[in-house]
Amino acid sequence: MSGTGELTYRRVHRAPPELLFDCMTKPEHLAHFWGPTGTTTPVENITVDLRPGGAFETTMVNDADGSTYTMRAVYVEVRRPDLLVWIEPEVEGGMRTSVTFTDLGDGRTEVTTHQTNVPEAYMSAQARAGFQTSLDRFDAYLARLTS
Amino acid sequence: MDRVWGVAVLEDDLSLVFSALADPTRRAILEHLAGGDATVSQLAEPFAMSQQAVSKHLKVLERARLITRSRTAQSRPCALDTAHLDTAAEWIARHRQVWADRHDRLDAHLAALQGRSS
Repeated sequence: MSGTGELTYRRVHRAPPELLFDCMTKPEHLAHFWGPTGTTTPVENITVDLRPGGAFETTMVNDADGSTYTMRAVYVEVRRPDLLVWIEPEVEGGMRTSVTFTDLGDGRTEVTTHQTNVPEAYMSAQARAGFQTSLDRFDAYLARLTS
Repeated sequence: MDRVWGVAVLEDDLSLVFSALADPTRRAILEHLAGGDATVSQLAEPFAMSQQAVSKHLKVLERARLITRSRTAQSRPCALDTAHLDTAAEWIARHRQVWADRHDRLDAHLAALQGRSS
């Protein structure tokens, strides 16, 4: 456990950072992969106003029953092709997601997603209070993150 | 709403948990309770706080269902309620799964764009 108070998800893709940045910020790309499994996010349901303060909203449609869920976020930092940061003001008193694109120099790019607020509050309470059951789950979770 | 919307279903509940945990005094109170049940006056002592101030924090923790308070004893001792915290852990695991699945599909999308098999 790092104790940094961040949840991190890393993934290496075989593509240059510019393309990955565009995939994360253009509705025509996002529509292909954004929605959670079992949902679809049609291109017309995606709003991207790519500037600090601009809106990033996606309305995901449940494949099974057509119900919808809208994520409402606001961009904080937009630096193509290196960094993208948005916050979801309505989630847990403000969840911040930062996505970093690192060129590995061999045609691959590492995409690192940090989510803060949730884990920060969670981890400090966990670490200090020693809730063992939760900690065990959290360790397993972290192990999967770093595997 | 079904499990596809796990994020949405639990959001209201969890925003209470996370905002309750955001305060260092409340985390310290939880830490104290991890060592055993305690009354308001027992909690107020180490924090050099008034019982009223502690009671305010306890109300927030109780509303987030991170603690329970006995209704029987007059001193109403507080106890840690870890079940709800486990729910928070599950939420985080699910949230992480959303990103993993998302990147799986992104991989496939990139492969299609580049005309290769993923």
